[in-house]
Amino acid sequence: MAKHKGRGIATIEYPTGMNQNGDPSQAWVKLKPDGRVDVFTGTVDHGQGSRTVHTQIAADTLGVPYDWITMDNTNTDSSAVCTGSFASRGTFIGGNAVRFAAEKARERILDIASKELEIAPSDLEIADGEVVAKGAPDRKIGIPEVAAAATWTYGELITGTGAALKPFSDVSDDDGSVEIEPHSAISYAACVADVEVDDETGEVRVERLIQVYDVGRAINPTLVEGQIEGGAMMGLGLGLLEQAYPYYPEPEHRGREFGAYLAPALEDLPQLDNVIIESPSEDGPFGAKAIGEMANNAQPPAIASAIYDAVGVWVTEMPATPERVLRALDAKQEPRRDGKRVIFDEELSVRTVSSNGGKGFLETDG
Amino acid sequence: MKAVGARLPRYDGVAHVTGRTQYVDDIRVRGMLWTKALRSPHHHAAITHFDASKAEALPGVRAVVTHEDVPKNVYGHLEALGIPADEPLLAVDEVRFKGQPIAAVAADDEDTAREAVELIEIEFDERPAFFDMRKAMDPEWPKIHQWGPVYPHYGPYNHRRVRKGDVDAAFEQADTIVEGVYRPQAIEHCPIEPQTALVIPEPSGRLTIHSCTQAMYFSMGVVAAHLEWPLNKLKFVGGTVGGGFGGKVDTASETISALLALKAKRPVKWRWTREEEFLASSTRAPWHMEIADAVTSDGWILGRRMLTLHDAGAYARFSPYGVTKHAFHHTGAYTIPNVHFDGFVVFTNRVPTTAMRGFGVTSVSFAVESHMNRVAQVLGMDPLQIRLKNANRIGDTTANRVVLKDPSTVQVVLAAADRVNYDLPAEYRSMTNEKRSGDLLPEHLVGQLAADDATTNGGGR
Repeated sequence: MAKHKGRGIATIEYPTGMNQNGDPSQAWVKLKPDGRVDVFTGTVDHGQGSRTVHTQIAADTLGVPYDWITMDNTNTDSSAVCTGSFASRGTFIGGNAVRFAAEKARERILDIASKELEIAPSDLEIADGEVVAKGAPDRKIGIPEVAAAATWTYGELITGTGAALKPFSDVSDDDGSVEIEPHSAISYAACVADVEVDDETGEVRVERLIQVYDVGRAINPTLVEGQIEGGAMMGLGLGLLEQAYPYYPEPEHRGREFGAYLAPALEDLPQLDNVIIESPSEDGPFGAKAIGEMANNAQPPAIASAIYDAVGVWVTEMPATPERVLRALDAKQEPRRDGKRVIFDEELSVRTVSSNGGKGFLETDG
Repeated sequence: MKAVGARLPRYDGVAHVTGRTQYVDDIRVRGMLWTKALRSPHHHAAITHFDASKAEALPGVRAVVTHEDVPKNVYGHLEALGIPADEPLLAVDEVRFKGQPIAAVAADDEDTAREAVELIEIEFDERPAFFDMRKAMDPEWPKIHQWGPVYPHYGPYNHRRVRKGDVDAAFEQADTIVEGVYRPQAIEHCPIEPQTALVIPEPSGRLTIHSCTQAMYFSMGVVAAHLEWPLNKLKFVGGTVGGGFGGKVDTASETISALLALKAKRPVKWRWTREEEFLASSTRAPWHMEIADAVTSDGWILGRRMLTLHDAGAYARFSPYGVTKHAFHHTGAYTIPNVHFDGFVVFTNRVPTTAMRGFGVTSVSFAVESHMNRVAQVLGMDPLQIRLKNANRIGDTTANRVVLKDPSTVQVVLAAADRVNYDLPAEYRSMTNEKRSGDLLPEHLVGQLAADDATTNGGGR
């Protein structure tokens, strides 16, 4: 009876944006008479940080300080369509909507500044809240003055609208092929898990997770790390602790309160090493591919293979609870070999469990 | 550029940690009523008797709603994607899962609402329930869904298919075939804030709906469809959510609260208990995945056959979409030229499953990556080397015919190896994601390479 160390790896990819597309996000921007900016989106920030990220995108697209911007995502009367915060689409699709709207407002700012400075818009650029003539930095006008001129002199509202939509991608029912990319971008990640397995109690402790994510561009590295670390804990829950049906497929004995349902807690927190790679996407805002959902996908298989490395058993019914680890250690099942076939988990397969040898699920080509 | 790339603090951080964030349940308005639901105590049963008159007569009860109060009771959340509707908002003459809502009461306080729910007379005739999706095609299957044991509407098929290359030849040619079964469990979304809605009938005739949805416009569309109302009569207020993780796309509390508010002509709040959140709200789906890989003794994956069963629970909800997304990613971060994939959405008598972080892909990542490690073990190969060899590269074509232009399997594996000082031979350490050539372009991969001028907009059709 002893504790054993093990290490496992997993490499994953994830499609950001809604699968098969067809999911619009829209935004609009208006300037107050003093040049401060209101941005309206329908994107719900449920903790992932989209509102902060969208504000950063708006600030740099317009060329104004971050704290000039007020973001309103509170209601459907003032905000335009956002299908929702799901499918890892907030940064890429929602962010693009904000970017496009800000680009339009930026053009209007340059038009008004052009009249005030008597310089063509194409010879102007915006930085730090000022419109400056290219190559002649002393010829400039502040965006507050531009907004004031628009309001009081020209009788105009500086505004911009933007919509991000990738068209619906049909899929062939015959072979699964698509006509256009069914995603916004594909992000990649790798995870190394170091675990300790107690072969007497079956308990697994994750000691360290090394996680590498290619997110294209980290609009806000702190929030990306938040996703990586929060995702790590969700992945740890998936891999080791959580199950809605303790005797699945039987439906009974469900946990009906915290404590009876085991979600990961701070005491489960391993050492976390985060690595962010920025290999920019062509179409995402500032090169972003996004992270979002994928952050809980790599840990469960990395943990499962670390358990194998530690004690020599595969736990393929997730989560690897102490009971499952002990049962696997008791069984120490070797795969069956049949010619060149190496067959694991035969007792779990449809062929074995169904009363008709899996008919209906197998041999679908008739 | 200053803001992008900066470590700016999140706009709501201070409000969260000082307790000043206002969630839906923090909002109280004059005359607000409270809601409780009558839910099925059975996994599968016919409703043989229903009488709410005693509940309606209880002092303090302002409205009781059943399926008869819903203008459009059966509406599918993904009808726009061609996925037909199968789930009633409120049960009609049968229940298919424990916790299914049958009726709801709005009353002056929660205790009165609870008492009223207990006064509703209801009788059931229990039916056999079904839970092990591997037995869905057995002759003994007890009929639990009008569509049959599995979702039947993938065009002419009852499953999502992916077919590419010549998988039979790949299995013939293989040195070894490695087979395994992977079964990740259902888990709860576990938001700190349970499902909560507050619906206020305005003097103008509009409804203001304070919602914890992750998707305001999507949820507004769902409520409008059930009410058969135009969008200008609804205003969703939201954008602040106490955790969602996919479960708050379900629009689980808004529509019933709206029906009660309309009937009572009073503001109505419905906040689920923690027990309801655990037992009656949707979960991540359980999955059953069988993989067989045709491999060579030096670690090339020539082909893959995969069978996936997805436990949808009692109704389809987003499951057909989830299985399609799953199908698109069943080769993981690797290039496998010959594949045969079948994915089934299987109905059972559990709470319908729904989207959750990584929807459709979390499961397949677990299966594919566990299997990859097993293949490496069977072949006696290093798990990083087998990954680097089969990794996606520029110009590779995925199972669903997308030509990859910037895959980074190689970069993330090498960065992870670096971080843990992993011992890799020089030829692996120097790998990149560049287009295949030389040793990395063995004969079996030549045909799948996209032409140099191919776009990423699909290639294989």
